[in-house]
Amino acid sequence: MSPYDSATSSGGGSGSSASSSAKPSEIDGLLAGAGYKVRSSDLRHVAQRLERLETAMVNSPAEISNLASDSVHYNPSDIASWVDSLLSELHQTASMPSDLPDLPDLMVAPAINHTVLSDAAWTDQDAPQQLNQFTVVTAMEEDSGIRLVHMLMTCAESVQRGELAFAGSLIEDMQALLTRVNTSCGIGKVADYFIDALRRRIFSPQSVCFGGSGSASLYENEVLYHHFYEACPYLKFAHFTANQAILEAFDGHDCVHVIDFNLMHGLQWPALIQALALRPGGPPLLRLTGIGPPSPDGRDSLREVGLRLAELARSVNVRFAFRGVAASRLEDVKPWMLQVGPKEAVAVNSIMQLHRLLGSDSTRNSPVEVVLGWIRNLNPKIMTVIEQEANHNQPGFMDRFTEALYYYSTMFDSLEGCALQPEKALAEIYIQREICNVVCCEGLARVERHEPLGKWRARLGQAGFRPSHLGSNAFKQASMLLTLFSAEGYCVEEKEGCLTLGWHSRPLIAASAWQAVPDANPPLGIVNHHSNHNAL
Amino acid sequence: MAGSNEVNLNESKMVVPLNTWVLISNFKLAYNLLRRPDGTFNRHLAEFLDRKVPANANPVDGVFSFDVIIDRSTSLLSRIYRPAQDGEPQLNIVDLEKPMTAEVVPVIIFFHGGSFAHSSANSAIYDTLCRRLVGICKAVVVSVNYRRAPENRYPCAYDDGWGALEWVNSRSWLQSKDSKVHIYLAGDSSGGNIVHHVALRAVESDIEILGNILLNPMFGGPERTESEKRLDGKYFVTIQDRDWYWKAFLPDGEDRDHPACNPFGPKGKILEGIKFPKSLVVVAGLDLVQDWQLAYVKGLEKAGQEVKLLYLEQATIGFYLLPNNNHFYTVMGEISNFVSSDC
Repeated sequence: MSPYDSATSSGGGSGSSASSSAKPSEIDGLLAGAGYKVRSSDLRHVAQRLERLETAMVNSPAEISNLASDSVHYNPSDIASWVDSLLSELHQTASMPSDLPDLPDLMVAPAINHTVLSDAAWTDQDAPQQLNQFTVVTAMEEDSGIRLVHMLMTCAESVQRGELAFAGSLIEDMQALLTRVNTSCGIGKVADYFIDALRRRIFSPQSVCFGGSGSASLYENEVLYHHFYEACPYLKFAHFTANQAILEAFDGHDCVHVIDFNLMHGLQWPALIQALALRPGGPPLLRLTGIGPPSPDGRDSLREVGLRLAELARSVNVRFAFRGVAASRLEDVKPWMLQVGPKEAVAVNSIMQLHRLLGSDSTRNSPVEVVLGWIRNLNPKIMTVIEQEANHNQPGFMDRFTEALYYYSTMFDSLEGCALQPEKALAEIYIQREICNVVCCEGLARVERHEPLGKWRARLGQAGFRPSHLGSNAFKQASMLLTLFSAEGYCVEEKEGCLTLGWHSRPLIAASAWQAVPDANPPLGIVNHHSNHNAL
Repeated sequence: MAGSNEVNLNESKMVVPLNTWVLISNFKLAYNLLRRPDGTFNRHLAEFLDRKVPANANPVDGVFSFDVIIDRSTSLLSRIYRPAQDGEPQLNIVDLEKPMTAEVVPVIIFFHGGSFAHSSANSAIYDTLCRRLVGICKAVVVSVNYRRAPENRYPCAYDDGWGALEWVNSRSWLQSKDSKVHIYLAGDSSGGNIVHHVALRAVESDIEILGNILLNPMFGGPERTESEKRLDGKYFVTIQDRDWYWKAFLPDGEDRDHPACNPFGPKGKILEGIKFPKSLVVVAGLDLVQDWQLAYVKGLEKAGQEVKLLYLEQATIGFYLLPNNNHFYTVMGEISNFVSSDC
């Protein structure tokens, strides 16, 4: 009868405590281990709702198929709100009707060893800094492959300690070893890129980090981006989920304004324009403000993109206006440049841009806080945030290197299945540039400062935003998008209202949507459903 | 059915802790939405609702995990769980497949439940269970993400199980000091069924399986047994849903006498005289298919095979998902003994 000690409690969360009396406001630790968030004090209430739901489902079996196919489900981790949303779909009122008997005090079997987690732990703030989640490619069996990785780690460690001479000699050794390994795929290919990145860091960091913002470089970036877009679904997923959220947020509004933090070729927008054109009740007036780097050669590439989009909008009868805002860095953008009108519904769209604001010198206000501040002041209907799901902003070089090795291994692995050339080759170069920035650069030059969803959640919560959950409809359509890709192994997952796209169970990119909290109250890190209770 | 609903739910509430009741009822209702009357399955909604967790190479409570691709052609993934060495805070990518240091390390190939249609190796409930198994048994656990019905019917799940067995058996880094991999098969619900059939396939090979662990294994047959009639709808499970899952898994046109469903039925294989692993079969007294599970145990006994039955009178399905009841600890203790008795 002796209970096992806390060493065998749920492994996924933070440290457990073997307390026998659960504080009521705390989340039930065992259900947390199963992926559900229910306060201990709410268990009874949730049980009652489940019963009501079952009764309702039994009494209206025809409705069940509607619940499954037409209803949109949100945030299944929050059982209470999930059940309540289904109940209201089944046209039940939120209050307990008097004809249901009060449930007797449940004589439940005694629960042993209730481990509990506090709310704070749930928001991942206490999670260990490293999130080494990865998929190991089975090519690891190759001895040379293992040796290469071993040497990469040793080399990275030497770099961290400042022993550049030793690190340099290791580079030579690794390059020799590379000749005996298949570098066209698998661990050989990944190692090749990382050895290259380390070599640049040790011997010529300037060439990587201050390479230039000349016209050739910008043009190259756009080409590489476009091929990355074609070769694998990450950017399409980003565009797709963001558009879905924006479309829903714009529902009922006649004047809408999208602010795109990185216009590029505007690949995201044709789909939104077409969706707005088909909106029941007719399309709104759509303004698009595209931010991008200034074109050095006299061309106004932002305007060119705007013109193409305007042409498309005209062809589907959507009133459209475009404005380009040229800025080398996002922090150089000032809100007045965006000319947001008072009656517009605003959507802010950030695809892999926010992390670039995380490098700062500590003498001034952190750029990310400044930018999030003015975004909030715009009171957007929605802010879509898509970011790499990785922890590449850790201060220690070794940690970053290791995390990047795992992350990009997985990403390269996902590209193996791509048959399109030159899309695949150029996509790899696109990725290689990211790797180089993470590995070779420091300070302001290191812009690829990816942070995982948990950290963004906390940061955005602090800045006065609350999550706007992405639901099962977005999930389903994202999943269907993936079937267009021959490589089976991509997976969409839902996590507390956000969607991630990953390869073989490792999430690589996370999409979330946010709204500004209306007043200057304490920021919320999690959706607070106390209000649901008060309504009962 | 409507009038008797309240009675049914109250009965199930009496025998499990409240959080277990919430967990299993939540599954039950969600699953009701996923099974369509025409036999198709709402896979998108299922994946959306399933709570998943990533692998974690950082040890948590002494266990770390990572995913491997066993077969690219079918995207067959498995999640490997290993005990962390003492004082090993951070693991290199190289350390994941490091050979083991102990004299004998049991390797448990685990097949998650879900009636052949639900859940994955990275479902939170199964990730948690596998982590517990590592700690309790001092074993390496390989959780197989087998293909599911109705999209992939018999024999896909068994093929994947077999593939995982071959893979595990051929990993040098999973060998104990005697240069052999000490393999046990374990699974709950449909996973228990898979255990039996993979072990059966292994009989004709030179892969040795040291033991089978079947937790509430999913078996059935064409007749309605007494336990099915008595317990229908009372403890989270109905005959109707069991029928649906068999229909989704078995080949079109087959009935529940198919040997996949009814291994000791008229179409089953004869197990007399063959070298079949010893079995530990756990049966929950409130599981409506217990008559089939007990018949399975009898079948093994009659064939002269070594089998231990652990019958837990007051247990329902899923009792092993949360460590908040005595059955959980009883079973974990038995499993631990089972895999260590060969050391």
